[in-house]
Amino acid sequence: MPERFFETLAAKTGAAPRRAPARLKARLYSALVARQAPLRSVSETADLCVFENLVRIAPVGERVKSLNFCRVCHARLLAETFEHPPIWWSNCPYARFGR
Amino acid sequence: MRGKPAGAATLLTLTPAPPSPDRAAATQEERELVAAVLDRDRKAAARLVELHADTVYAYVRHRLAPRADLVDDVVQEVFLALWDNLAAFRGDSSMRAWVLGIARHKIEDFYRSQLRQPGALTEEDAGGQPEPPRDPSLDENLDSARLEEKTRRVLESLPQHYSLALLWRYWEGRSARDIAAHTGRSEKAVERLLARARAEFKRRWTDA
Repeated sequence: MPERFFETLAAKTGAAPRRAPARLKARLYSALVARQAPLRSVSETADLCVFENLVRIAPVGERVKSLNFCRVCHARLLAETFEHPPIWWSNCPYARFGR
Repeated sequence: MRGKPAGAATLLTLTPAPPSPDRAAATQEERELVAAVLDRDRKAAARLVELHADTVYAYVRHRLAPRADLVDDVVQEVFLALWDNLAAFRGDSSMRAWVLGIARHKIEDFYRSQLRQPGALTEEDAGGQPEPPRDPSLDENLDSARLEEKTRRVLESLPQHYSLALLWRYWEGRSARDIAAHTGRSEKAVERLLARARAEFKRRWTDA
């Protein structure tokens, strides 16, 4: 019965963890917003992080306000690299994934 | 055995159902979230990931266990497909059921594409190779974490088409005829591939 070994092994090694790693969530979010670009302007978006808020009040055009600022933010790099990234500011999705 | 032999046209009925999906229609909150994501709201995209990443990850990991190294890429493909198809979400089912449906298709596509690649079922497989007469022993003293780890290591060390053929056949519980139907190969060729994959797995398991 050449199959019995594999059937037993499969039955013993099928368990999966319930939660996705925070790093993977960060990667997924980065990939999604990259696909979504150009994004909705920060002027029309709620729950902005500190950097997005700065852009919102800055004297720049709507085109700039629709850019994906996370792409150049170190929080993204930290979150995609570390499971518990040292990011503390509010309304940063990458910080939320790590909690 | 979860699958039955059939053609590719009946793919949906062959695949195991995702873990208890909610078949109820989408809630108002879900519809609003979809609208916001389609409106390219960056915060809505984050909410979408927060809401569904755990579910998709657990499902994909379960279907690809113990090849955990393949999971992240497949999960990412699911989310990108989700975005590409989001405009078609009508809300007849819950968001969770819809997302898991995409995940199920992606996993099927993944297995199919890997086993259809040139070299997956070649002349090399035509002769088959005798399997070792005895199964290697499963050390009863090995705790489940170490057993899982050893299995993962051996599967990872195999050529990809051997590893996936074994996963599809034993961890997914699909028949050789079913795999043949989905990859466009003969059942005989799949059986030969499985025989070689088993032999190679057992050799490496014993050596590990």
